[in-house]
Amino acid sequence: MRTVMREQFRQSRAGEIAIRWYLTILLVIAGTLFAADRARGQDDGAKLFETRCYSCHNIGGGDKQGPDLKGVTERQSREWIEEFVKSPSAMRSKDPVAAELFKRFSPTIMPDQTLSPSELDSIISLIKNLTSKNETFVPSGAKLSRAIVPADIVAGKELFAGEIRLANGAPSCNSCHSVNGIGALGGGTLGPDLTAVNIKYRDPELISILQAPNFPTMNTIFTNHKLTDEEVVQLFAYLQNAKQLNPTAAVVPTQAAATTDPGFLILGFAAATLVLVGLNIFWRKRSHGVRKEMVRRSRI
Amino acid sequence: MDVRLQISMVFHLDKCIGCHTCSIACKNVWTDRKGAEYMWWNNVETKPGTGYPTKWEDQSKYNGGWEKQENGKPELKMGNRASKLINIFHNPSLPKMDDYYEPFTYKYEDLFDSPEGADQPTARPISMVTGKFMDIEAGPNWDDDLGGSPVYGENDPNFKGLTPEEQQELFDVERLVFFYLPRICNHCLNPACVAACPSGAIYKRGEDGIVLINQEVCRGWRMCVTACPYKKTYYNWSTGKSEKCILCFPRLETGQAPACFHSCVGRIRYLGGILYDADRLVDALKVDDDKLVEAHRDIILDPRDPVVREKAKENGIDERTLEACERSPVYRYVKEWKMALPLHSEFRTLPMLFYVPPLLPVMAKTDDGVYETANEELFSPIEKARLPIKYLASLFSAGNTGQVSYALKKQYAVRLFKRLETVGDVTKEVVEHALAECGMDAAEAEAVYRLTSLPTMDERVVIPPMHREEAMAMLDDDMWEQKGSAGFGFREAPVRGA
Repeated sequence: MRTVMREQFRQSRAGEIAIRWYLTILLVIAGTLFAADRARGQDDGAKLFETRCYSCHNIGGGDKQGPDLKGVTERQSREWIEEFVKSPSAMRSKDPVAAELFKRFSPTIMPDQTLSPSELDSIISLIKNLTSKNETFVPSGAKLSRAIVPADIVAGKELFAGEIRLANGAPSCNSCHSVNGIGALGGGTLGPDLTAVNIKYRDPELISILQAPNFPTMNTIFTNHKLTDEEVVQLFAYLQNAKQLNPTAAVVPTQAAATTDPGFLILGFAAATLVLVGLNIFWRKRSHGVRKEMVRRSRI
Repeated sequence: MDVRLQISMVFHLDKCIGCHTCSIACKNVWTDRKGAEYMWWNNVETKPGTGYPTKWEDQSKYNGGWEKQENGKPELKMGNRASKLINIFHNPSLPKMDDYYEPFTYKYEDLFDSPEGADQPTARPISMVTGKFMDIEAGPNWDDDLGGSPVYGENDPNFKGLTPEEQQELFDVERLVFFYLPRICNHCLNPACVAACPSGAIYKRGEDGIVLINQEVCRGWRMCVTACPYKKTYYNWSTGKSEKCILCFPRLETGQAPACFHSCVGRIRYLGGILYDADRLVDALKVDDDKLVEAHRDIILDPRDPVVREKAKENGIDERTLEACERSPVYRYVKEWKMALPLHSEFRTLPMLFYVPPLLPVMAKTDDGVYETANEELFSPIEKARLPIKYLASLFSAGNTGQVSYALKKQYAVRLFKRLETVGDVTKEVVEHALAECGMDAAEAEAVYRLTSLPTMDERVVIPPMHREEAMAMLDDDMWEQKGSAGFGFREAPVRGA
C-alpha cells in the first residue's frame, strides 16, 4: 500500500502541500482499511455506519435516500430491525410499517444487508447513543484526499468510460452505469443512470459511496478492488459536473430499472440481421446443391 | 532428373460392360461401414451422363482442381490460402448429400413379419443416415441403373462444345449411344487434395505414389472434398474424417491386385509401375490445355533407358522394381502406344489413371424408314462414330481431338489387321493404309491385340515388389528407432472426437 501511495504522491500536482496531503491520505486509507477489521473486532459503530449505511441514511440529519434513523430503536424492536435489515423486500409484504416505508421512499428499495449480529448491535448502540444525546452523525472518512482541479473532470470521464483502467482492476463504471453523452451506445444498464447522482446524494455521501460502495452488486466487486484516492477525486469531479452538462436529466432511483430499453433491443436485432445479410452476401456463391436444381430445370 | 515410381493404371473402356462388379467388390471390402454408406471409392458412370456426384465435372459448381495463372503456375480453383482460411469454418463449394445421394436400404423384415392381409407386404426404403422412411430420388448413376429418365444424360457437362443438333442426335432412336466410365482415385502426380488440406493429413507415398489420408491427422475440414476435381475424397459423417481410395495398398504390398482390379469381369483394368521425372513436373503444368496430354506423357520415362535406370537407383528404386516397370502394361498403353489418355487433364492434377477411349459399335442409319446397318466399309470410320470425337476429347484430352482420334484409329487399325488375318474379307491395302495412318507396324498391332484381348492376370496387373523395408529406409526417419517405437499402430476404432 505504501508503494501505491508513493506512486500517487509522485503524480500529485499539488507539490507544495504534498507532504501534508500525503499524511492525510495515509490516514484516510489506513482508517478505511482498518474500519472493516475494527468493526468486526471492536464493533466500532461509527465506522460501520459510515461505510455501510451512510450513503442512504443519516442519524439526526434528516431523510436521505432512506429515512433518518434517529430514534428508530425507540420505534421498533431489535428483532424487527434485524429482520428488516436482513431482507427489506421480504418485510415489505408482511409488515405494514415496512410497507409504509417502502411507499414513502418509492421507488428506492433498500438492498439486503449482510451484517453480523455484533455489527448490528454496534450500529444500534451508536444510534441509541446519538439519539439520547440528540446529536447528528458526522462522517469522519468521507472527505476527498485533495481539492478538485478542472483537469479532474476530464480524467474522471476517461476513468468512467474505461479509456483509463482503474488502478486496482475493477471494471470501469460504464460497464454497468451510464451518464448522458458518454460513448456512442451509452453505458451499461445494470446499474442506474448517474447523470443526476450529485442531486440524489450529497457530497460526503457520494464520496463515501465511491470509497466503499455498499450496494450488493458493487460490494462484491469493489471490496477487493477499491478505487484509489486519486480515482475517487477524479470520478467525484466528473459526476458532480455531469449534472451541469445535462441539466434536464432526471434522478434515477438506486435500483436498476427492471425493463430493458426497447431501442437497444431493436438495435441488437438490426445488427444481427445486418450480420446475417452480410454473411449471405459474402458467401453468395456457395453451393446450394446441384442435382435438385438440375432436375427441376429439366422438368420445366 | 528426379526419377520416381508411381503405381499407375489403365482402364480399357472398349471392354467395360458396366456390370459394377468393381464397385461392389470395393464397397464390400472398404466402405460398408457407418458413415461410409454413400461412398463409392470405385463407381461406374454411364456416359453421356452427369456421374456421381451429380455433374462432378462441372467445376463452375464445385471449384475443384487447379487453374493456370498468368505466370503459368497452377493455383487451386477453390482459392488461395487466405480464402481457405476465411472459409475454413464454412466451405462453400461442398457437394450436398443430395448431390451424391442419400444412402438407403429397405425394411426387409416387413416382408416376413407382416400379418396376413389382402395385400402383399412391401419393403419400404429406409435412409441409412436417419433410419427413417424415405422416398428414393437418386442414386449413383441414377438414370441408367434405376431411374430411367433422360434428365441426367442430357445434362452431361461434356456437351459444352457440341451444337444442340449434335446433342439431340445422341438421344435419337437408333442412334442412342452410351458407354461406361469406371472411376477410382487417380492417385495424381499433382494432387489438389494434398495441396488443399489445412491439417497436412493427406500425403503421396514416396515409394509408390499412392495418395492417402492419415486418419489420425485428419480434422475433417473437407477442403480435399472441394479441391479434388474428381470428387474422390469423401467425408465420413460418423468418424468426422475424410476417406478415399487407398488403391488397396495392403493388397498391393502382398502382391495382390486391388479388389476392383481383381474382380473386374471385363478384364478392362491394367496396373503397373511407371517412372516419371519429378523435376519436369512443374514445367508440364505450364502448357496450355490442348498440349497437356502430351506434356503429361513427356514426363513419363522409359524404364529401359540406362540413364533413367541409373538415376532411379540413386533414388533408392530397386532393380526388381525396374524390371517390373519394364513389363508394365500401363507404360505400353500410355507411352509406347499412346492409346490411353488421362481423364479431364484440364483439371491439371496429372491423373495417373488412364483410359483407352471406347471404339463404339457400327453406326446404323434409317433411310426412308428402312433400318440399314451396312456400310461401305466393314467398320464405320471413326469420323462417323456415334459419339462425336469432340465429346470424347472433352473427356480424355482437354479438347484436343487429335489425341482421341489417334487412339481410336489405332484400335480401328488393329481390328482391321486381325480381321484380315482371321476372316480375310478386307483387302491388304486397306489394312496397310490403316496401320500406316497411325504409324504402326504389324508387330505392334499384334502386341496391342494380345494385351487388349488375351492378357493373363499377370500381364494385366504387374505389381512391382513393394519392398516395404526399403521404402522405410527411403524415409529420413531412423529405421531402427522406427522399429523400436512403432508398436502396433493405432488399435482403437476411429471415433468422432477421439
